[in-house]
Amino acid sequence: MYNAIVSYGFQYGCYLIEAGLIIFLARSSQRRRPISAALYLAGMLATGVARTYIVHRYGVRSTQYSDVYFRTDFLLVIGAFVLVCLFFRRACWHEEKMWRQVRLLLTFICVLVVGISGLLFFYHYKHLLANFIIEFRQNLYFACLVLNTLLYLLLQQIDSADDQLGLLVCGVGIQFAGPAATSALVHLTNGAPITQSLNSLSNRFCTLGMLLVWTYAVVHVKEKAVQITWRKIPAWAEATADLNVQRR
Amino acid sequence: MIFAALILILSTAMFFFYFQVTCQKVLRRQFDREYFQSIVNANRLEFPSLRKSLEEFDAPVDYARLRMMLKCDYLALTYLLKNAANVNQRYSNEERLLILYFRWQFLLLAVRRTLRVGEKKAVLRMTSVLQYFANVVGQRVNTVRFGNLTAADYLLNL
Repeated sequence: MYNAIVSYGFQYGCYLIEAGLIIFLARSSQRRRPISAALYLAGMLATGVARTYIVHRYGVRSTQYSDVYFRTDFLLVIGAFVLVCLFFRRACWHEEKMWRQVRLLLTFICVLVVGISGLLFFYHYKHLLANFIIEFRQNLYFACLVLNTLLYLLLQQIDSADDQLGLLVCGVGIQFAGPAATSALVHLTNGAPITQSLNSLSNRFCTLGMLLVWTYAVVHVKEKAVQITWRKIPAWAEATADLNVQRR
Repeated sequence: MIFAALILILSTAMFFFYFQVTCQKVLRRQFDREYFQSIVNANRLEFPSLRKSLEEFDAPVDYARLRMMLKCDYLALTYLLKNAANVNQRYSNEERLLILYFRWQFLLLAVRRTLRVGEKKAVLRMTSVLQYFANVVGQRVNTVRFGNLTAADYLLNL
């Protein structure tokens, strides 16, 4: 009973934060508000609501639920990959040359993950959809985690002043790293019940962690991000500033 | 099997890395002035002198005393965070995160002490958390006024 209350509390708490963040971003007057993050949140919220509806209507053990679960999971993992790509785009906003190289790398990784998952699917084709999605999910989440870390390093390398993006990237890192670690643990222990409950717990905690970090990034760091990203000094003003410095 | 073990190790390391980076980013918040000084003086906190001795003089410190100093300052500041000029009487989310971070570093300090690796770094991190807390308390207290005095001045004049 107590576990069920905590579980529902977590679930609906996350939905509330997601909805709150989406509304905040939609009503925000920031010029560079993270639309990509809002879209991902909308996807997560829609997925959660759809799954809850199916559970209430058909039950957890129904084929409808497993069908919806795997299909939405597939969409979510693709959404996560697209989100990381969009963060890369934001980081390379003024670096077109770098963006061309990054785009190539992202395409290569996407093809690689689809290829590996396809091969695994080919060898385990009896389990069809579910097996393919589980493999694909694990591989793509880990690829996203590595890409996210590369993005963080890139931000350090180009000395980015976009603090908001930095925090958004950290949030994504927390969301991907925890479940990736516990999924691997489940795999290593051949699905022992304790590791499975640890996995489900870490999924919830990490999602909540990501939502809280994103809330902080969106609510507290917005002004600085706007100032830094959009304050372009015209050439004449730069020249005047140089002259002023020389005079001093 | 090897691939899963590799993912487990890398992902766990990355999780703690991102957790630490997030806390560092929260700690980098700029305050319009140094509010912590008045709080440190009013409550006789010891972390600034501890940080100074570590940064400037690199003096050897008594480990048991260092732990006690950090813990006392932490307890005083978390109490003030919750109760001083705080209408809601509860921590904000970033404060909770930093409390967790401080505890984590406190735990790591014992491990680092045993292994004799990077003790100074951990202590400096903890003092930066304490400074952040003192700044937050100072900023809050500064908005409350007693006649012509700010609350911090009032406390100092007691």
